[in-house]
Amino acid sequence: MLPFLKIMVKNLLKGPSTDPFPFAPAKTPKRFRGCASHDESKCILCGICKHVCAAGAIQMRAAEDGSGVEYVLWHNSCVFCGMCAHYCPTGAVTMTDNWHLSHLAEEKYTFCETSFVAFGECSQCGARIQPRPQVIVDQLGTRSPDRFLLCPKCKRESQVKHATDKNLIQLREQQ
Amino acid sequence: MRNLINKLAPRSPWIYRLNAGSCNGCDVEMATAALIPRYDVERIGCKYCGSPRHADIVLISGPLTVRVRDKVLRVFDEIPHPKVTVGVGVCPVSGGCFRDGYSTGAPTDHYIPLDVIVPGCPPRPQAIIEGIVKALDVWRVRLTEATCCRS
Repeated sequence: MLPFLKIMVKNLLKGPSTDPFPFAPAKTPKRFRGCASHDESKCILCGICKHVCAAGAIQMRAAEDGSGVEYVLWHNSCVFCGMCAHYCPTGAVTMTDNWHLSHLAEEKYTFCETSFVAFGECSQCGARIQPRPQVIVDQLGTRSPDRFLLCPKCKRESQVKHATDKNLIQLREQQ
Repeated sequence: MRNLINKLAPRSPWIYRLNAGSCNGCDVEMATAALIPRYDVERIGCKYCGSPRHADIVLISGPLTVRVRDKVLRVFDEIPHPKVTVGVGVCPVSGGCFRDGYSTGAPTDHYIPLDVIVPGCPPRPQAIIEGIVKALDVWRVRLTEATCCRS
């Protein structure tokens, strides 16, 4: 008899199920995929994020003086697919759980994440190369730290030199 | 009397949903924000209305496809001033994934002046509520200044 009473009492004890958002902070799941974020200290300017971006939200503009690249992530075009974060080799682009993105239309073009990534220098000839931050040297350049900081040309030369030295040693040993 | 109405009006806005060729993702989130008790947009006094002539806040979604452009603009002109437009999703602002597609011309924002933008693909229902709250502030200012969004 009156089975709804049981449900009613249960619901009364449970309290309101409405999310109190505009009046109190909302709960966000930990793995919620919100807007992307770029960390310039880890970026090596490989450009894969720009390449895979479905909505064309990422722009990389070379600075006029040639000292680096301006990295622009426009939130008003990002579709939260997370491909940039998936393909970023150094973890510079990550997806955050931030969804507080609503803004006035005046901020339409300023509502983006802008950072400046300076080019690196070849440790031998001083030519301009992709940046080599210490974090990335520790992560990727552990096998041959010296060669990791070279420009492609110097790297090729050093490799040739290394190979010929090896061959010479082998030849001498054979003789 | 006018001041009193201007003060009271933003407490109970009528929301109108305008689909400008959207993929239905944002529309579902907008419906969710209003219909499901969990994200109850009616707590801030909003109510969806069926007629553009009753609307105060317009929620626009979609990149304005060529096929619906004239119809959307016609409906938009039916909405009386002062109206506040909220672009839901990234499509009205930039075109999102459909940018430079064969069926979309310039994004919605090129034809219809937006006041508040809620980016996302689709945005969370809470984010839409946040946008509506921002739109209410814009509307309050607009009522006191007696300006319209095309002035």
